Amino acid sequence: MAEIDTSGGGGKHKGGVRSKKMSTRVDLTPMVDLAFLLITFFMLTTTLSKPHAMQLNMPKKPEKEDEKQEVGDCQVLNILIDTLDQVWTYEGLQVAGLQKTNFATDGSGIEKVIKDMMVKVPNKCPLTSKGAKRDAIVLIKMLHGARYQNMVDILNEMDITGCKIYAIQEPDPIEVEAVENGGTVKTFNKDVVKEEEK
Amino acid sequence: MTAMCDVSFLLLTFFILTAKFKPEELVAVNIPGARSQKQFTDAITLLVNKEGKAYIELGESKTRYQMLDQMIEKYGDKYPGIKTLTENQKNYFSKIETWGTPMEDMPRVLAMNGTELQAYQKKMPGIPLDSANNQLCDWVQAARYATGGDIKIAIKSDKDTNIQPVKEIVKGLTSRDIHRFLLVTSLTGGGGGAPEPEPTDDKKPAK
Repeated sequence: MAEIDTSGGGGKHKGGVRSKKMSTRVDLTPMVDLAFLLITFFMLTTTLSKPHAMQLNMPKKPEKEDEKQEVGDCQVLNILIDTLDQVWTYEGLQVAGLQKTNFATDGSGIEKVIKDMMVKVPNKCPLTSKGAKRDAIVLIKMLHGARYQNMVDILNEMDITGCKIYAIQEPDPIEVEAVENGGTVKTFNKDVVKEEEK
Repeated sequence: MTAMCDVSFLLLTFFILTAKFKPEELVAVNIPGARSQKQFTDAITLLVNKEGKAYIELGESKTRYQMLDQMIEKYGDKYPGIKTLTENQKNYFSKIETWGTPMEDMPRVLAMNGTELQAYQKKMPGIPLDSANNQLCDWVQAARYATGGDIKIAIKSDKDTNIQPVKEIVKGLTSRDIHRFLLVTSLTGGGGGAPEPEPTDDKKPAK
């Protein structure tokens, strides 16, 4: 391996005092090893500093009426995220039967609710007008005091459960009132009832 | 053998010099964790700190210059002071990677020298984003115009920010016909597993 020879031209003294000349050959192998390690480090770290991100696609406003998806009452799961990081859910388009849950990491909280819904909807809901099975639709509503962490958490849950159809919407005043009253609905949504009766 | 040593040092020097340093974090943002493993490069980042103040970070200096021109055109009538910005001041602006100045303050800020600017940058007021005066979304639109609509938009918000400013930003962007964004997160949780499903561009369900 590469060497540096600093021993000088020793060994030509005949007679006289002979001092002990130690050969000073420096082995440079470790230095080259270090250099290669450093190179490899820099080669790898220049590409690793990309920040992670999560894609968010907001729905476009449909221009024609017939582009609106058919949304059946039984497909919809509404998730309301409250100021105190409490999560309320109810099914259907009518504000009723709010259930309280949370962002438990072991999969028992909101994750379970979404997964149950995803399993239930294709089997229990009537087929669409084209004869296809319906998928669960999740409507996410963030109340005014919620934190950004909650929004990311719920989108993360969408990713984990594999739910593909979801939308982030403004909460209804009825929903806000229901959550403020601890889950009891005081105002009845008359418009929705009328449509169902038709 | 010394030749090999020389080559390895040359390579090392090359990589040291071409490694770009992360821009100094002027805005403290504690990002939330998520399972997403998607990474991105070259995006205009909208920073939102805990108090709900918004800032923009963009790496490409040519785009920054063009964005400033666009903003001057748009807000020139409202704040006549910005029409008087000189070429030097515009170049000065294009050297700043992260900024949080409302348009009305721009002439004053760009007239500051190096040390004053550094002190200012530690406590920038933030770009207004209320619906009446949504300068932030106008900056984003200027960026899209400058890059031909190709630029990615990333929202990097503190985990404890109130949802309101973020909602305003999303609302402002969707009203300007921008529907795809990235939310910057730190990688946590069970990685791997199923690939990330792309949420469909669903239409608003009829209510």
